[in-house]
Amino acid sequence: MKRLLQVELTRLLCRRAVLVILALAVVLPLVIGVATTLNSRPPSDDALAEAEAQAAADAAQPYVQRDLRRCLNKPENYLGRPLPDDIQASCEDSILPRAEWYAYWNPLDLAAEREEGSGLAIVILLAILMMLAGTTFAGHDWASGSVSNQLLFEPRRARVWGAKGLVVSVLAGAFTFVVVSLYWLALGLVARSRDIPIGDGLLLDCLQSGWRGAGVAAAAALAGYGLTMFFRSTVAALGVLLAVSVAGGIVLAVIGIDSVWNPGLNIGAIILDGTTYWAEVPCGDDLGGGGMEICSVEKTLSLGRALAFLGPVLAVALAASVATFQKRDVP
Amino acid sequence: MSDLVIETTGLRKVFTSLRGERRVAVQGLDLAVPAGGVHGFLGPNGSGKTTTIRMLLGLARPTSGTMRLFGEPVPDHLPQVIGRVGAVVESPKFSPNFSGRRNLQLLAAVIGAPAERVEEAIETVKLGGRENDRYKAYSLGMKQRLAIAATLLKQPDLLILDEPTNGLDPAGIREIRETIRDLGASGVTVLLSSHILAEVQQVCTSATIIGNGRLLASGTVDELLEVGTSYRVKVPDPAAATALLVAAGFAPATIDGELHVDAETPGEITRVLGEAGVWLTELAPLRADLESYFLQLTEGEQLGGDGHPGTSGEAVA
Repeated sequence: MKRLLQVELTRLLCRRAVLVILALAVVLPLVIGVATTLNSRPPSDDALAEAEAQAAADAAQPYVQRDLRRCLNKPENYLGRPLPDDIQASCEDSILPRAEWYAYWNPLDLAAEREEGSGLAIVILLAILMMLAGTTFAGHDWASGSVSNQLLFEPRRARVWGAKGLVVSVLAGAFTFVVVSLYWLALGLVARSRDIPIGDGLLLDCLQSGWRGAGVAAAAALAGYGLTMFFRSTVAALGVLLAVSVAGGIVLAVIGIDSVWNPGLNIGAIILDGTTYWAEVPCGDDLGGGGMEICSVEKTLSLGRALAFLGPVLAVALAASVATFQKRDVP
Repeated sequence: MSDLVIETTGLRKVFTSLRGERRVAVQGLDLAVPAGGVHGFLGPNGSGKTTTIRMLLGLARPTSGTMRLFGEPVPDHLPQVIGRVGAVVESPKFSPNFSGRRNLQLLAAVIGAPAERVEEAIETVKLGGRENDRYKAYSLGMKQRLAIAATLLKQPDLLILDEPTNGLDPAGIREIRETIRDLGASGVTVLLSSHILAEVQQVCTSATIIGNGRLLASGTVDELLEVGTSYRVKVPDPAAATALLVAAGFAPATIDGELHVDAETPGEITRVLGEAGVWLTELAPLRADLESYFLQLTEGEQLGGDGHPGTSGEAVA
């Protein structure tokens, strides 16, 4: 088995398509990381001075001064009641342009990046790339017909399937693990250099989220590989995966099935260690509808629940893949 | 223990299409290949040769029947014997972007063969100089040679070659045939599947002929050629001999002044003439070529692809 694993690893790493995918898996997070870092930079002194000048110029505009006078004359229209003690300062604060309006910047926030920003995007991107790697690896074997040649040297089909699957999933998981770890460590360094408080254990949370993402990427690679071994075609496997990921959610929404069964939401729950979603339920008394109307309520999808759903789905797909590979004739 | 290297009994393969149509590619084939020499596996296109080979190698599952390689039941015990079997099935199939050498190295690594064996195999099939080129840049002849080199990595006791000279130029065909002959002479049992009769006649010591997935004839090439052949008969009085033979149910013919008699065995002729006191001065088989015999056996057999579903065999809806 060790020899077979070594051979499959060599074959995988010698595939040009796989190498291109791995290169993309490095370059794209790098680009996203650089963009995130640049976009969250504090403005420079020059930019700040320019913004202050712009704010002062705009503050001198007649329409702004008119608004300021109206505020001072009828402050309740602008400031509401009760009125503040210092009406002059409050009106100026409310009406006059400020420098930060012209030098807007979104400071780096690791928690936001992890939950809905670049961290989540990178994990999903890597999972898709690893799935493509698994698919193209198996698809190339079938397209070239070399599966039959391989079986003439190792006829134990379950072993061959297992060796390929293990190599694909371990490589995908390890690669993603390294990339996301480096990504979060780099963002952590950027935050520290800007004196942004990382918070208690926030960086570790981000890393753990990335590591769960590595598991998702490994599973995605295995799923892509398994489906391609089942269909014996890259195109067919990708078509099914695309249909599940895109059309699946739409179909669930159209026929009114709870979002808890949406594969995308479940993947998000695994990466984020649980997530929330909106579900439509009959309004109970506590929701003010008397049970006659439909109300949207926020629900939580836990990591365990997501694993309990996606795990068996993946297991069934892989079992079908192994079984058909063992039984069907090989061209 | 049997001295048969390959043995099948009642081997049957039925392909079923998605629409439920069933086609028999191999029907009850009994195949016996003794150890040593080059054994021809003859049949017209679509007769089930490739399907039979694919079943022997575990690439296709038989519908029924039993198969043995080196006395071991396959596919159940295929892992135990596959190390002794080298095979080229249909066209060579390798990773197109790897070089010939890299393809061989990977296959050698699977079976734990030493690195030197790759170089030896390259040298044996005369691929030297092009072994580092990508496989997809190879000519068909080079691909065939690489496929044979791959079989040699195992140092096999049995070599199964399915149409190995397909698409080769005359020089390539001659080289491959010489290689096969050399391998057969070196003690390796070679099963050579072919529809080129001259090839089998030139290279093989024994042969099996199949048609429509069924066994039609099997034996040494000499035996096959002698079955049902004509004999040239020389006697002092041809007219008397002709009358005696006609009376005994033969149909002698005089061709170019020679008496030709069709008979199962030469003994039948000597018995009829000898009992009447007509003594032979010469009795010689008019050696038929394998092609004539093959055509005679397979006359009326359905022609099609090469054993793939929907292209061969008898429909059994």
